[in-house]
Amino acid sequence: MDWSQFGSFAARYLPQLWNGMLVTIAVAALAAPTAVAIGVVLTVPRVAGWRLLSGFVRAYIEVMRNTPLLVQMYLLFFGLPILGIFWDEITCGVLAVSLQHAAFLSELIRSGIAAVSPKQWEAGQAIGMRRWAVFRQIILPQAAIKVMAPVSNQLIVLVKDTSLVSAIGVLDLTLSGKVIIERSGASFEVFILVAALYLILTSVIGAGFRISEARFTRRLG
Amino acid sequence: MRSFGRRFITGLVAAFCGFALGAGTSQAQEKSRLDEILARGKLVVGVSSESPPFGFVDEKGELVGFDIDVARLIAKATFGDPNKIEFIRQSAAQRWPNAQNGTIDFGAQTTTIYADRAQRVAFTRNYIDGGIVLIVRKDAPFKTLDDLNKPNVTIANLTTPTQEERAKRLFPQAKLQTFDGIASQFNSVKLGRAQAAQLDAPVAAWYVKSNPDMRVMETRLTDVVNTGLFMKPGDFRLWQYFDLVVSEMTGGYLFADYSAIYEKWFGEKPKNAKWYLNNN
Repeated sequence: MDWSQFGSFAARYLPQLWNGMLVTIAVAALAAPTAVAIGVVLTVPRVAGWRLLSGFVRAYIEVMRNTPLLVQMYLLFFGLPILGIFWDEITCGVLAVSLQHAAFLSELIRSGIAAVSPKQWEAGQAIGMRRWAVFRQIILPQAAIKVMAPVSNQLIVLVKDTSLVSAIGVLDLTLSGKVIIERSGASFEVFILVAALYLILTSVIGAGFRISEARFTRRLG
Repeated sequence: MRSFGRRFITGLVAAFCGFALGAGTSQAQEKSRLDEILARGKLVVGVSSESPPFGFVDEKGELVGFDIDVARLIAKATFGDPNKIEFIRQSAAQRWPNAQNGTIDFGAQTTTIYADRAQRVAFTRNYIDGGIVLIVRKDAPFKTLDDLNKPNVTIANLTTPTQEERAKRLFPQAKLQTFDGIASQFNSVKLGRAQAAQLDAPVAAWYVKSNPDMRVMETRLTDVVNTGLFMKPGDFRLWQYFDLVVSEMTGGYLFADYSAIYEKWFGEKPKNAKWYLNNN
């Protein structure tokens, strides 16, 4: 590879990669809140102790955690049309990423809540607080501080996992890179640019999480 | 002063070493990979194993296809034995670094010649024409290309650059999809996510044969593209040798062998590159 030409090569193809990056950002911006919302909903039955629903949630989490995201994405994209459902590639991609990451997030949130000592439940109830009030005012703030770091981590994994939507035809950063490779025959140069753009994206998001984590902890601590 | 003198001499020595090294490299450049291949006694060829009918794995688990047979013909021309060859299976993206870093002597992977690509690898001349056709569901109502230029039609393309440009030119009103594999592109049409897909004519014929619910549209997309063998650039003797063998295959003493391979995979005889021989 001739590195002296890398600058002009990058200048030529960066606009096309940037368009792909915007799609990646859009997919992540749709998938992350969806995943968190589903993750929270999945956590409720287990924290509340609803037996039957907890069983379903556990089964869901096991299936989602133990099958590859790429396969789930193919199942949604190529499987739904057999049932007569034609959701477009972005919907299928966002849904697949959200459904799997919700399972991981739910586990993180549940373990965060479980990590707060059960004695605090007893103490709260002993001074006459209702179960819900104990949860909201004593347990939840402590659990939130505990899960912030792992949840941020998980969301960064989510951003990187959005690259799999390239397999079902979403023109994200990864697929845009593959298109450029097909044109230019420069696999290595393009993947370096693609990796650099992902790194910038995840670094910015990671920094954002760290700042909000610090603020949040200060406010509650 | 003394330190200046020492630095000056060091610099002079360094400059001389640099010159000697430069002279050494320019001499080394004359040594061709062709010598290495002949000394080694076999070809190392990069091919696809997932692009029927060009390079794929058959029911017996063997690597077969048009590109495989062409590479064997080159081995036969080089060593008198079509089996003096080692195949490296590579993905579409892998073929470029494999050629550039010398993992393979050359690649035979239905690789279309584009100027952008030729800046990074050396291409031989064309060894088979590439032509694009549209594949649609058998029950689809489309007859002409105009029938597909509608906002409610989706065209499935491959990441190959010309496909997107062609689709935008011919079907400006249609929606476009892009996939990084032929199987996904094909399935998108089969399942009704897209209404038509651009495929290489021989590839389309191959898929339709095993999927009777699909058909190839009679109206052809007229572009013809050239397909070359590709290798590391900057080795003149190596490039010249393979380019010459290709020239002999498509219009010289190897044409009979080449013609038999072509007919085996595509069911018809190829045109001779010498146009005046094709008088029928």
